Amino acid sequence: MVLPLVLLAVALCAALTGWAGWFVARDRAVILKQLWGGAVIEGVIVVQMIVAGVLAATGSSASDPVKLWGYLITALFILPVAAVWAFAERTRWSSVVLAVAAITVAFLEWRLWQIWTA
Amino acid sequence: MTHPENPETAPDPATPATSSGEGSPQTARSSDTPRTTGSGFGRVLVLVYGIFAVAATARASVQLLRDWHEAPVAYVLSALAAVVYIVATVALARGSRTSRTVAWTAVSVELVGVLAVGAWSLLDPAAFPEPTVWSDFGIGYGFVPLVLPVVGLTWLWRTRPPQTSITEPKDPA
Repeated sequence: MVLPLVLLAVALCAALTGWAGWFVARDRAVILKQLWGGAVIEGVIVVQMIVAGVLAATGSSASDPVKLWGYLITALFILPVAAVWAFAERTRWSSVVLAVAAITVAFLEWRLWQIWTA
Repeated sequence: MTHPENPETAPDPATPATSSGEGSPQTARSSDTPRTTGSGFGRVLVLVYGIFAVAATARASVQLLRDWHEAPVAYVLSALAAVVYIVATVALARGSRTSRTVAWTAVSVELVGVLAVGAWSLLDPAAFPEPTVWSDFGIGYGFVPLVLPVVGLTWLWRTRPPQTSITEPKDPA
């Protein structure tokens, strides 16, 4: 239940990173469609939070719930903040910002999985 | 829908035209180097600093609030790293004259901190029962904490305003 959700989020982050990276190569700024892609990742993180909450309520919570929720909440905030920050810049650097944010969320997901299965 | 604003290597539109140059050596610099620290490449830099500010703050909070007794000194250094990242993020994002000075200080402290804590954690691993942002030169973060201050200082130097690059004009000793 947990691993597929983490893998899905990582795959989506990788796709968004590739998309943004392609825009960097083409010297283009972030477009709205890419932010919708980020919104899909946000949806997956929300589902992860619901699953984490249900698991905690049914007694099978992670060994370190504080860290788990710290990573979940951090992951949730990275993309929206980065999106606002990227959209203020209409150069290729905005695409770099989005790519870095997506890589960061993928890294957080990997750590999340480590904590979840610890 | 798309924004074909950069047919060629367009300079940052937010960059004020190099009007403040006044024939100084600055005008010779390539136009894609913005004068502000928070735009262009600086926008990426501020994002990375922001991410580290959040990461270090979260980690230091857990360590200090919950595991304080394990290694007080190491965890206080963890909190120091968090403060340095927060200050550097805000200062680089603002990019005013005062912020620039603050950023120079914060990023310098960051460089010293990652080198000192990195060396200390290798020499005395027992002092760091749980990794911090700067322990082992930031190995847990792909050594980004080691590279980041060098990039930050380089960026501050490259975007320096013309005035600060000139040696003090009158300084009667």
